[in-house]
Amino acid sequence: MKISFYPGCSLEGMAKDYFHAIDAVFEAMDIDLVEIEDWSCCGATAAHSLSEAMSVILPARNLAAAEKMGLDIVAPCANCFNRLRYSQQIIKKKVFDIPWQVTGDIQVHDMTRFLAESSMIKLIKERVLKPLNGLKVVCYYGCQMVRPPKITGYTDYENPLTLDRIAAAAGAEVIDWSYKSTCCGASIGIARKEIGESLTMRILQKAQQAGAEAIVVSCPLCQSNLDIIQKDRPDRRTPIFYFAELLRLSFIAHGDPKWFKMHFTDPVPLLKAKGLL
Amino acid sequence: MQNTVSHQKGMAEHEPGKKRKLIGDRGNYFLDRIQGEAGVNISACFQCERCTNACPVSHFMDIKPHQAIRYIQLGWREDLLKSSTIWVCLSCEMCTTYCPNEVDVAETINHLRNMAAHSSITPKEKSLAVFHQTFLEVLRKSGKVNEFRLMNAYYLKPDIFQEKLKNGTLKEELLLGLTLLRKGRLKIFTPRSRAIKDIQKAYHQARGEIGQ
Repeated sequence: MKISFYPGCSLEGMAKDYFHAIDAVFEAMDIDLVEIEDWSCCGATAAHSLSEAMSVILPARNLAAAEKMGLDIVAPCANCFNRLRYSQQIIKKKVFDIPWQVTGDIQVHDMTRFLAESSMIKLIKERVLKPLNGLKVVCYYGCQMVRPPKITGYTDYENPLTLDRIAAAAGAEVIDWSYKSTCCGASIGIARKEIGESLTMRILQKAQQAGAEAIVVSCPLCQSNLDIIQKDRPDRRTPIFYFAELLRLSFIAHGDPKWFKMHFTDPVPLLKAKGLL
Repeated sequence: MQNTVSHQKGMAEHEPGKKRKLIGDRGNYFLDRIQGEAGVNISACFQCERCTNACPVSHFMDIKPHQAIRYIQLGWREDLLKSSTIWVCLSCEMCTTYCPNEVDVAETINHLRNMAAHSSITPKEKSLAVFHQTFLEVLRKSGKVNEFRLMNAYYLKPDIFQEKLKNGTLKEELLLGLTLLRKGRLKIFTPRSRAIKDIQKAYHQARGEIGQ
């Protein structure tokens, strides 16, 4: 199986560990992930905030490249996924001139939904060598992956389950909670720290109240927000995992603590205590 | 006489000390413009306030989301473009998702933000506006956004640097930056995209500059 891969800017920097984990997971699952040739930024929030035209044109370049390859796209970053889908819809309405040859007809998957298909879950279960028994997690989806439903195509946007299914397939104990898709503040914390903190802290507290020992995410920005905010709180720490990190860990008999060195909230003690590392 | 008193009383309840704003002869010009350009049916709003109740940052906004929609209906353009609302909005899409009348509130606020960016009005939340601006500058230079370059460029903006210096957060942020570098989360060099020329051309066209 072959699919084109749009990593997005974060996976080259802040979320390099996510990139490595994805690489390892897809290799183990025998899915050929073909990085889009010379991809460029999707524009993220800045582009649609300041120039609606650019927010359609920038993702269109990557859509065009994938169309040329004749492959559907899978995107690990929630915002990239959202912007690509948005661009597709507007391209079809033909309201902006796109400098590239693009129809908008290919499928754009967010990586969690791609892996939560029943055939993929079956494949994951076959690959699991060491189930993550006893690891209590909540799954956090954030906004951009699920909302607005008319862009993302999620019908269960109030209670999304893709990450829950993946984490459960890896053997983790998934706890249900009510803050799955509450906003973490995204990049607002960089310019207005108090707003960002108030939103991120609430999610963290609710996860802890639900009895989670760790939070599973798929969005690089959600990960950094929830992870970095804990740097000054040594008392109660909740590691924030990318779902791909958990899959990678469960696919192999002996994981490597070095995989987690980019985390602020060190998950190694928790994993050791559970006998998973 | 009694009428005047009750009228003033009502005014005070709305916005103390402020003169009542009249709609005058503005007509539907602003409403029609937003509805046309953003493709949103603003007139469908019946002020149920579900958007504001769903909004995670409404208490940081001076004009609440449902009020923003009403302001558009009334043609109060400057109030909207001067508001903190348009910059504080996170585009988390809660308002849009829960509107019973399918008013795309997030798209509307985003469109107002676009309008404000192209106006002479100084953004009320300058640091947020500068952040978006810096992001696009870095994007135009390399086709991708490297977080190290982004953060450097952002902190070196005169307004931002002075603000951070004044409120004493500069040292803390620098230390965080160093930790991020040490942990390998900030990469000083990342590959650029070959798209730079195409992107710059598209950007100039989007701004209405006719290229050669």
